[in-house]
Amino acid sequence: MIVSTGDEAPVEEARVGLGRPLRVALLSGRDDASRRGVARIALAAAAEPCAVAPTDDPRSFGELAQAFRDAAPDVVLVGPDPKGVAAMAVLLEALRLGCGTQLPAPRIFVIADPRVADQLRPAAVGFPFEISSEVGEVVTALRAFRRGAHKDLTLRDELIEDAARSLASSTGGDALVVDVSEASTSCVLARADGLEAAHIVPLGLGAAGDHVVARAGLDRVRRWLPRAIDAPALLERVFNRALWPGALPATEAALALEMALAREAIAHALRDAEYAGLDAAAMRAAPAVLVTGRAASFPRAAQTLLVAVDGIEPSGVTAVFREPDDGRAERVALVVSIRPRRYATVLLTHAGGRVEHRVARGSFTLVPLSGDVEVSAKGAPVKGIGHGGAIGVLIDARGRPLLLPKRDAERIPTVLRWHATLRALPSQGAA
Amino acid sequence: MTWRHARWTAQHPLPIGVVERAAVGRSVNAGDVIAAGVALGAAIRMKGARRLGLPAADLERELRVAIGTDVTAGTLLARTGRRFPRALTAPIDGRLLHLTADGDVYIAPVVGRWVVRSTLDGAVTRSDDGRVSVEGAAWCIEGAAAYGPDAIGELALGVNSPTEDLAPSRVDVRLGGRIMVGGARVSAEVLTRAHACGVSGLVAGGAPAAGLRVVYGETVTASGAPGRDDRPTVICLIAFGSAALPDPIYRPLVALAGSRAAIHTASARLFVFAPADAFEFATDELGLALAPDYASVRALGERTVNGEVTFPSEVRAGAIRQGGEVMPSANVRSFDTKR
Repeated sequence: MIVSTGDEAPVEEARVGLGRPLRVALLSGRDDASRRGVARIALAAAAEPCAVAPTDDPRSFGELAQAFRDAAPDVVLVGPDPKGVAAMAVLLEALRLGCGTQLPAPRIFVIADPRVADQLRPAAVGFPFEISSEVGEVVTALRAFRRGAHKDLTLRDELIEDAARSLASSTGGDALVVDVSEASTSCVLARADGLEAAHIVPLGLGAAGDHVVARAGLDRVRRWLPRAIDAPALLERVFNRALWPGALPATEAALALEMALAREAIAHALRDAEYAGLDAAAMRAAPAVLVTGRAASFPRAAQTLLVAVDGIEPSGVTAVFREPDDGRAERVALVVSIRPRRYATVLLTHAGGRVEHRVARGSFTLVPLSGDVEVSAKGAPVKGIGHGGAIGVLIDARGRPLLLPKRDAERIPTVLRWHATLRALPSQGAA
Repeated sequence: MTWRHARWTAQHPLPIGVVERAAVGRSVNAGDVIAAGVALGAAIRMKGARRLGLPAADLERELRVAIGTDVTAGTLLARTGRRFPRALTAPIDGRLLHLTADGDVYIAPVVGRWVVRSTLDGAVTRSDDGRVSVEGAAWCIEGAAAYGPDAIGELALGVNSPTEDLAPSRVDVRLGGRIMVGGARVSAEVLTRAHACGVSGLVAGGAPAAGLRVVYGETVTASGAPGRDDRPTVICLIAFGSAALPDPIYRPLVALAGSRAAIHTASARLFVFAPADAFEFATDELGLALAPDYASVRALGERTVNGEVTFPSEVRAGAIRQGGEVMPSANVRSFDTKR
């Protein structure tokens, strides 16, 4: 990646990547706050959870120890609740039994008050043991671990967070950056009061496409394809693609598959964010969304737009941008998500005048307007202003959550129609 | 390069409950037991130091039976005091599993036994309760992914040509204990039948991903699934689905048939134990290409660089031409590129 650094040194090579994989075991208390606390740190640090054990885990002591041994974590995040210190000590004993011979031994981070954490120290004897009540501190330490010896490595997740901050400051409101790459998916919301970040590894549209299928199920990926394909054939394509990091889709079918994987990866990232207690509703309601990574590198901006709208399911008036890894940022479209009871009238005011659109529930309409557009509606609580971008204003009245027909005979024409609205497929004519 | 004769290291992770294991430096052959142990049931936690009135740190010194020892119910584990003795005895037949930091003892019933066998001829280079590593020389080919437990046996051809799929009817109990070469594809039916017939493992160009999910579970991924469960073992050398074995891979398999072999699933490697100079194999680089729609992978022959091309997907990228077909150069790579 080339980064401009000013007049004196116009360009500078910067190494950007995910760093080395970081496998974490998440040990939490029984309560939701504790579970969310450790999950949130794992998401913020782009760590790969390899074992999850709450203090009320029904597995026996030996089974837990075996699970930890098989998981071979690099780091263990411990989020005890004050009433469950004894139960947490049992988990740490199981960890000691399971990973006592592991080289190097897993590093234990206890996210708690030092007095609580000190009660756990004896159970983790022999392992590097660190205490912190600052989430940011732990995330920084985990990122340092991922960098390893490459101190100059710029982590992809840090770049995405910087992009979210920049977008938020330039638009003056909340901004969401969605990054879908070969092996990672990120959703970062920048707000006035800070960042909410979910970086999920491994989950992506290429080398980790098989993980999307393993987590979401094959049918959830297949439902986005605009053509019929049987499940075994689809699975083979996903698995073969996973063996080929960096492969490019040469056919429309391969492109549609990557788009489908990207949609589910985004939806899963949001679900993980919600599970960790992040504000997924605010992410969906962000007035500005920037798509980056492979999902932003699809040949047509409409493909990126469709993936973003289907994956995120935005809930207001959203300006969508995209920025490929090796390209420039561009405005894609303004998305108006409405949920009319039956019909609504959307008023679009722009430099050329005012346009009224009668929108039926379930419709998906593109209005090719460019420049700044003010949006309001009769029959639905929608109001906002944004730029039409390269494509225009997309009025999405399909409802939330977005439900697709179950039967192929109904679903495929529906999905095909959505693609056709945006001319998202090469076979549907020029962009 | 596809096949290589070199020194390799195979890691063998051990489950909890090790009873004995090979010492560092010991010579082993593929198939030899390098570790044995017991499978444990739900563990019971016993008060130790508190019952004996000892500081937690002193219990280990007072234990009459070392942690990791099998005991029978009633065995005296520790005893303190003279006039008013306090004793800790085993409540069940089992194994002393773990001593906690606060001086309690876990004891677990023995519910089974396990052994771990070497997948290499060589010497043990690391041995602890977590793993045993063996280093040795062998012919080796590294596949795309492998599933199931490690397998050891004699290499046997199950097909007559590299493009043939292994038919279920070719698998029977006479092939028990062997590693079968299955040509371009082994189906889920072949996998389960081979397992039922006692076939040690299967080697093929590919296996259907959907079939692998049926056999190994819904969460299986393209990176393989090494395990200890009683399941079939298969190594996919090239891809998923059907992948004809190219000559540089198939001819050595034919030549090495009858030799002892092993599949190390964690590293997706097939080891064959034959002398380094036993055969002359072409070691030219083998190129593989992912089909434009990702449906298959095949070997590439003569090819030329074609400059930049706009593909039907409208992706514009550097291309490679083979015969009449043009494909993105990103979809072509050598067989031994690390995945």
